[in-house]
Amino acid sequence: MTDLLSSPRLQGESGAVDHRADWSWLPDPADIPTEPGLARARDEAERLLADHGVTYGADSEDGEHPWHLDPLPVIVDEPEWARLDAALVQRAELLDAILQDAYGHRLLLTDKLLPPTVVLGHPGFVRAVDGLRLPGGRELVLTATDLVRDGAGGWCAVADRTQAPSGVGYAMEDRRVVSQVLSGVYRQASIQRLGPFFRALRLALRDVAPGRAEQPRVVLLTSGPSSETAFDQAYLASMLGLPLVEGSDLLVRDGRVWMRGVEGLEPVDVVLRRVDAEWCDPLDLRQGSRLGVPGLVRAVRAGTVSVVNPLGSSVLENPALLTYLPRLANAVLDQDLALPSAPTWWCGEPRSLQHVVTHLERLVVLPTVRGTDVGTILGWTLSHREREQLAARISAEPWQWVGQEPVGPAGPTVDGTPVGVGSDLPSAEGVGPADLGPRAAVLRTYAVAHGGSYTVLAGGLARVAPGHVVSSALGAAAKDVWVLSTQPDAPVEPSVPSDESAAGEVATPRRPATGISPRTAENLYWMGRYAERAEDASRVLRVVVDRWDDFHRRPASAGGRALDVLISSLTPTDQGAPSFRDLVLDPRTAGTVARSVRRLAAAAAAVRDQLSTDTFGPLARIERALRDERGKTRGRTHGRDALDLGVVAGNTVTAGLRPALDKVLEGLLAIAGITAEGLVRDVGWQFLDAGRRIERAQHLVESLLATVVQRRPADVDAVVLESVLLAHESAITYRRRHQTGAGLAEVLDLLLLDGTNPRSLAYQLDRLQESLALVPLAGRAPDQRDHLLSDVVDLLAEVDPVAIAAAVTDDGRRARLAETLESMLWRLHSAADEIERVHFVRLSPSRALEDPWDARDGGGE
Amino acid sequence: MSRTYDLVHRTTYSYANVVTDSYGRTTMTPRDVPGQSCLSTSVEIEPAPADTNQWVDYFGNRTTYFGVTTPHTRLVVASRSTIEVTRQAPDPATLPAVGWHEVARRVAAGEVGRLDPSIVDLRETLLPSPHVTFADEVRDWAAPTFATDRPMVEVLVELAHRIRTELAYRSGSTTVHTTQAQLLAQKAGVCQDFAHLMIAALRLHGLPARYSSGYIETRPPAGREKLRGADASHAWVSAWVPGAGWVEVDPTNDQLVDDRYVLLGWGRDYDDVPPLRGVIFTEGSGSRLTVSVDLVPSGSEPFA
Repeated sequence: MTDLLSSPRLQGESGAVDHRADWSWLPDPADIPTEPGLARARDEAERLLADHGVTYGADSEDGEHPWHLDPLPVIVDEPEWARLDAALVQRAELLDAILQDAYGHRLLLTDKLLPPTVVLGHPGFVRAVDGLRLPGGRELVLTATDLVRDGAGGWCAVADRTQAPSGVGYAMEDRRVVSQVLSGVYRQASIQRLGPFFRALRLALRDVAPGRAEQPRVVLLTSGPSSETAFDQAYLASMLGLPLVEGSDLLVRDGRVWMRGVEGLEPVDVVLRRVDAEWCDPLDLRQGSRLGVPGLVRAVRAGTVSVVNPLGSSVLENPALLTYLPRLANAVLDQDLALPSAPTWWCGEPRSLQHVVTHLERLVVLPTVRGTDVGTILGWTLSHREREQLAARISAEPWQWVGQEPVGPAGPTVDGTPVGVGSDLPSAEGVGPADLGPRAAVLRTYAVAHGGSYTVLAGGLARVAPGHVVSSALGAAAKDVWVLSTQPDAPVEPSVPSDESAAGEVATPRRPATGISPRTAENLYWMGRYAERAEDASRVLRVVVDRWDDFHRRPASAGGRALDVLISSLTPTDQGAPSFRDLVLDPRTAGTVARSVRRLAAAAAAVRDQLSTDTFGPLARIERALRDERGKTRGRTHGRDALDLGVVAGNTVTAGLRPALDKVLEGLLAIAGITAEGLVRDVGWQFLDAGRRIERAQHLVESLLATVVQRRPADVDAVVLESVLLAHESAITYRRRHQTGAGLAEVLDLLLLDGTNPRSLAYQLDRLQESLALVPLAGRAPDQRDHLLSDVVDLLAEVDPVAIAAAVTDDGRRARLAETLESMLWRLHSAADEIERVHFVRLSPSRALEDPWDARDGGGE
Repeated sequence: MSRTYDLVHRTTYSYANVVTDSYGRTTMTPRDVPGQSCLSTSVEIEPAPADTNQWVDYFGNRTTYFGVTTPHTRLVVASRSTIEVTRQAPDPATLPAVGWHEVARRVAAGEVGRLDPSIVDLRETLLPSPHVTFADEVRDWAAPTFATDRPMVEVLVELAHRIRTELAYRSGSTTVHTTQAQLLAQKAGVCQDFAHLMIAALRLHGLPARYSSGYIETRPPAGREKLRGADASHAWVSAWVPGAGWVEVDPTNDQLVDDRYVLLGWGRDYDDVPPLRGVIFTEGSGSRLTVSVDLVPSGSEPFA
């Protein structure tokens, strides 16, 4: 694929510019990646990204939004990058000065320098924070700039991202993946590291802390798992070692910001925000926002918390600013602007308005506010009538619009108009030349305020798109950016492994994990429950599927009758039997394997910052196994046929399910192993384990109630009991202990009472009580919770397996067993409710106070 | 000649369910401006807030933040002030006769003098704002007044008069979400709507206008008619007339603002200076809200 971003090289004498990646620095030309090699790397990258759970877009019930990565890196040579680095530093310094002035003396706001309306008319101008300053001397802490190559191969800025720049987590992850899939060339390259930028960012966050906090408490305020860049946010949080918090995890008391921990309130000094400013405080900013913290602006005003970037920084994202940067650079820095911007006309000036409306057919038109319903409008794609409508719309509120010259490397021209790379103007016949390659490519660079200046990330997030507009939402592919270094590999700092792995690159000693929020605790608890629920369902279904394959043709046999028992235990009520396939694969129905896996993934995604990245590989493989099998279904049967065991022919009922279930179990066991062996036994882990235990205990009791209460002929019961043992992963132990076939008393002993069996009820209760004793209470008495659980323990102590198995009424029911199990089951359910009530105190929802305007007729007391 | 007023502005919310936290912000403290000085003032909140903070906002208004963290089913916010007012309404005939075309031209060209408001302040009051939209309905409604160039003061007087005569004042006929198009369709509204409509008409023609929040005397002196919008928060318009500064016009009562008015503050529109705004945390929904305002000559019988 043509690469529009790598350092350009002149081709021979023609003067044409070639943007293909330059591999000439490789000592052995044989190492240059070949097309088949790149294709393999692409597949491998896709797999790695899925394994790491790298997504773009919101988490959804059945949506998969993988992050696209083209492993072929953008390669920029050192002299070129050095010039760009300096230009980006200058740009950041200039933007910072403009921001300081906009919220300060507003001396730059004159028609001769920066027309006041560019600032005043932009919604990013937050009047509520006027006059407030961050400690440390800079207002713009973190900034990103989107760059393209112009026709001559030079860099040209098309936009600045100053609100809460996204993508730096993706950039890091891209590096991690590309260094693996192209390890051959990566190892030979001397590539500038990304680490210094993240170290500078950590220091910058410390430097802006109010007062002289030695160890300021920094949090990353996320817009939550429903955000498009949720992965990026969580990844950055874990890279920087910051708690990932949502607005509801924070509150303002006594004029400062606090984080709700499961153990009480903890002060917060610095908020790295990924929430747009207007949503950050429903009191002083956008009313009704649930993403923010009421009173945040009050705390900022009091100087007790620093928000990064400060509220109001997005006023710099107004593309109209591009028009005025050159003269502002002269006025503010007494320098020429080093990095040109795409030629931009702000329609708020009458002459520019005139220019834009008369040249719509060759301009890109942008609203001055990002994120409105209007995106980027390509003037040449509009009909005559559409252009007239657009011109009218612009003229009505001209300060809301800019026109921008399209910028990009020019390709061949037709009738004097470029039609090649960077443009898809049709030729005279209305048909463009074939295979233009990518039409657009954008490099996002990052800079962070550090040590009196700015530190630029040595690389960035490159994205290429088949269309003119580069947007990850529209399927643009990312690329890693390699900045070559003539220095032999810079000495590797002790904490920096050469693969720049996320954890190692900027390893921060995690604080003692007191700081988990009730929300995180709850997600971990549910992660434990759903992991167990998925595993339980998978084990049961695996057994039932096997029995079905063995016995469904012989319904009258002992095995056939046992099969009936097992099938009816799958769906306790008579709500119409779903098919085996649905019980495994249907993500929309509660209780299926696929549904529990989905919920598990959602819970894990919400606490990504707490988990090892290794957790996401098995999750991705489980989902892939289910998806692959689901894909096969559609081809073979008609939608969701209800299970009719007698009619559906042959093995279509169970085909493919056993291997799918095996893969699911394999993945779930890997996750169980990671959580058992890879997590510190902190409060979070106790919640995770408590979730697993209560779920397993409930499932075990329910399963026994559904299978062994009714006495059946010995040969039938033998198959049922063996199946129950298999479903509870205790068959091997049982066989070792009891050479003869399964007897109920022995089975009950092993599954209920044996404290050494990690599948037994006794074991679950033991672990559950231990975990619960170690987690703090959220101010509510746990008496009821503890009562219920110790009642179950008492019930268990009274169980005499031989007697209870033998107590059979006239109708063949083991009534005492049923009664005991039912007594246990409702207590376990109530105990689970109590755990939620005691530990996961939900905030009351917030809403706006009724507006006094609306109270008119209520006036007068 | 001055008049001194006692002001009590009380807002009460009653809830069926317990509210655990209330965060609020008030703009209920009168500003000191030429023609008006605030002699004493306080904002009382019940239950007592755990945290309060007073500051001067972007527009120079005196603002109070509060955070109540005791569970409650009733929230009372009461501001009490004593204000001395010496403001006299200007006689329109004596105001500079500069034409509205010229006013718009000067603002657009940035031709402002040393004594004028800054160009930043003027440009800010030209733009649409949350409650002031550039709707075609407003443009059509305003058109007759702007058909020809004429003195700015005449435009102001005529707009106020047209609003007073063409639209009905009807308490409760609009909400904070009513648009100007809806207002013009239903031909009835309250003072905030009338102020916003007049502001929109002016800004649409490139003329700076801002929103003033305040009160009118509750009980008129004997023999004078009670003004509309008493007993509640009131709102009117400030428009820029070169040479005269910000001229304050009350379209609800079709008159220029005089010593019967007390100014709280100003902004681009209601959204910048609501008397009270807040966020509450509760499982419940709904509330019963009562607002009472009493602006009486100092020393009158106290507020019931």
